[in-house]
Amino acid sequence: MEKVKQKDLILYSGLIILGLAAPYLFSAFKVQLTYLCVLIVLAMTWNLQGGEMGYNSFGNILFYGLGMYLTASVQVGMFFPLAEWTESGGEKTFVHTTAQYFQGIGVGLLVAAIIPALVAGAIGYAILGLRGHYFAICTLGLGIAAGEIAGGIEIIGAGQGFTTPPFPAEIVDPEARGKFFYFTSFIVLVLAFIFVKYIYGSRFRLILNAIRDNEDKAEAMGIQTMKYKIVGWMVSAFFCGLAGGIMGGLIGYIDSTDVAFDGREMGVFMVLMAILGGKGTLWGPIIGATLFHFFKEGLWTFILGWQYVALGVLIVVIVIYFPEGLMGWLREKYPERFGEVIDEKDRKSQVELK
Amino acid sequence: MNKIAKLFITFISALTLTLTSITSSFAKVEGDMIVLGSAISLTGKYSSNGVHTQNGYNMAVDRINSMGGVKVGGKSYKFEIIYYDDESNPKRAAQLAERLIKQDGVHYMLGPYSSGLTKAIAPVTEKYKIPMVEANGASRSLFTKGYKYLFAVLSPANQYLEVAIDLAVEKNGGKGVKIAQAFEQDAFSQDVRLGILDAAKRTGSKIIIDDKLPKELNDMAATLAKVKATKPDVLVVSGHTKGALTAIRQISEMKVDVPMLAMTHCDAAKLSKQHGKKSEYALCASQWHKNLSYKDKFFGGGKKYDKDFKKEFGYAPPYQSAESSAALLVFKDAFERANSFDRDKVRDALKATDMQTFYGNIKFGPGGQNVAKPMILFQVRCKGDTCENKVVAPTKWASDKFFHPIPKWSERG
Repeated sequence: MEKVKQKDLILYSGLIILGLAAPYLFSAFKVQLTYLCVLIVLAMTWNLQGGEMGYNSFGNILFYGLGMYLTASVQVGMFFPLAEWTESGGEKTFVHTTAQYFQGIGVGLLVAAIIPALVAGAIGYAILGLRGHYFAICTLGLGIAAGEIAGGIEIIGAGQGFTTPPFPAEIVDPEARGKFFYFTSFIVLVLAFIFVKYIYGSRFRLILNAIRDNEDKAEAMGIQTMKYKIVGWMVSAFFCGLAGGIMGGLIGYIDSTDVAFDGREMGVFMVLMAILGGKGTLWGPIIGATLFHFFKEGLWTFILGWQYVALGVLIVVIVIYFPEGLMGWLREKYPERFGEVIDEKDRKSQVELK
Repeated sequence: MNKIAKLFITFISALTLTLTSITSSFAKVEGDMIVLGSAISLTGKYSSNGVHTQNGYNMAVDRINSMGGVKVGGKSYKFEIIYYDDESNPKRAAQLAERLIKQDGVHYMLGPYSSGLTKAIAPVTEKYKIPMVEANGASRSLFTKGYKYLFAVLSPANQYLEVAIDLAVEKNGGKGVKIAQAFEQDAFSQDVRLGILDAAKRTGSKIIIDDKLPKELNDMAATLAKVKATKPDVLVVSGHTKGALTAIRQISEMKVDVPMLAMTHCDAAKLSKQHGKKSEYALCASQWHKNLSYKDKFFGGGKKYDKDFKKEFGYAPPYQSAESSAALLVFKDAFERANSFDRDKVRDALKATDMQTFYGNIKFGPGGQNVAKPMILFQVRCKGDTCENKVVAPTKWASDKFFHPIPKWSERG
């Protein structure tokens, strides 16, 4: 284990304190903060494929949606008949007690992390042999198909949608719900960060990079690329599932295509955020997600009806001016701050050669 | 790394400062304004109905404000609405509801458009004990959840087309009929479907085609091909505005002959205008029609509402606008009876609502649904090239006879 540098220590403890204090400092913004945590997790884990491994996956939304449905189903199914809960128009109303609610969501989140990871393993085994555009299109299809299929399964509400258990009424503090979801998402964010940070310091990342840079060569070097690709995807699926589970509970209503398998929004946003911040970097997706979220929340309401035009403009600006993302741009401008040593002589000689 | 870290920290602290300086500048009642909040679909798949809803709200706000406003505690207040665009997305709607309540300090909410979005917002308003009068969430499951702060001025979705099946059975000499149905995969349409299932059971009818259609409905040719092959007595289609338009377009293109065609959202889709004669004989479920004889002092009757609405927005009001206007009347009435801005008092007053508006009688059942108003059916009928919606059921308001069966395409001019 490498020694954590003092400067980093200050940074991390600062961020953690900020994270813990945030729901008290900005009490009214708890839901947005929860969204931010979830967005960062999604961007950060997408970056493992898209940034590090060079596999542009549009299918991570599959795990997010799966996690959402799983958490809610487990939370209900542990205590009540699921079919009756979701049956539209059912006259019965079930109420979770406080203990049931938290037990349910706890177990639900666990399931929501493990099953998507297993699914990612299984699907990955089948499709990670595809490369480039073929992989991208295939995963895009996965997300869309999942939405349509979920919309036809009666036990999870089909087209009616699935109302997740309401927060226990016995807890009278109206702020409790917001705090609960914020802290859960913050814990997931911290876990995801620690994990990704660990990967960044490991051989695993180098292998992912090798796959990105030249998969055939990596294979020729004796690396079992398939194994690493699958494991990488499973890690993403694990955290996407958790993120989805939290969002399901927070939103309170799951719709197959608009909330769970929301490839059109969440699925695109996670890619966009990673690219905005700079894919293939540790901090890029975090900064990208934060900026994107503030842009969206801040600007959206002032340009009512034109938000998506603004988003389109943003995408164009990113692609034209920051093709490598903000981190990439910074890296190009100040390479020495990124620990890159530049041999001035060498650079000069290259220039002179021209 | 350290430079980046510094940058990051500066960025975060700058944000912190800006955020803390933004405190909720609105309040539930500010000066002589009663501030209501609403997330509305201005973009996305429900945008046209979202605009109908918004127009309905705005029209009522202007009317009530210009006619003396809301009198509470001897003082006169005016309505004002904060709108956000929910992009027809439940996730966004739930988030915006939270934002309206927590950041904008809204204490009274107006509903969004569609059952799905209402389902997403209701848990939020319930949590903060914010009374919400909604005019466009008809799904029956909204009213079985035990929500205490949700009030709907419209009839539940399962009642939309039940009457149509009864009519078909009646025309069939009391015997069960063969039903073909196709419904969009969304909360509202699926509830309409449940209503049909109930009606089929009750009348001994058989459902021979039961298709689910994708959202953003643009094609239902597969269903129609089956209809052509199996010749049902009734074809039922529900899929909001796009569903209605798609159905008529493809039925006329494919020349599908079916004795009876029952739909929802014909008036929101302006079917009779957009498709003219092609849409003739279509039977449509509606919450409201201008010819009904309800009255109130703000809008007069349905005909006057129709005229005023046309003058202001340039098109005939679909029922989505009418019911949205009615929601404001309900709020005004409740504020005045509560004679207070206390949320729980307003909520109790809403609960006790029993009034007539131009849109219909309004009285809330235990689940918050309106139990005082029946659904109506109208049929598109054409004279020459101008087509109109004529009420055919229930008989109390019927202005025209129900035309049955629909002539074959080969016989239609």
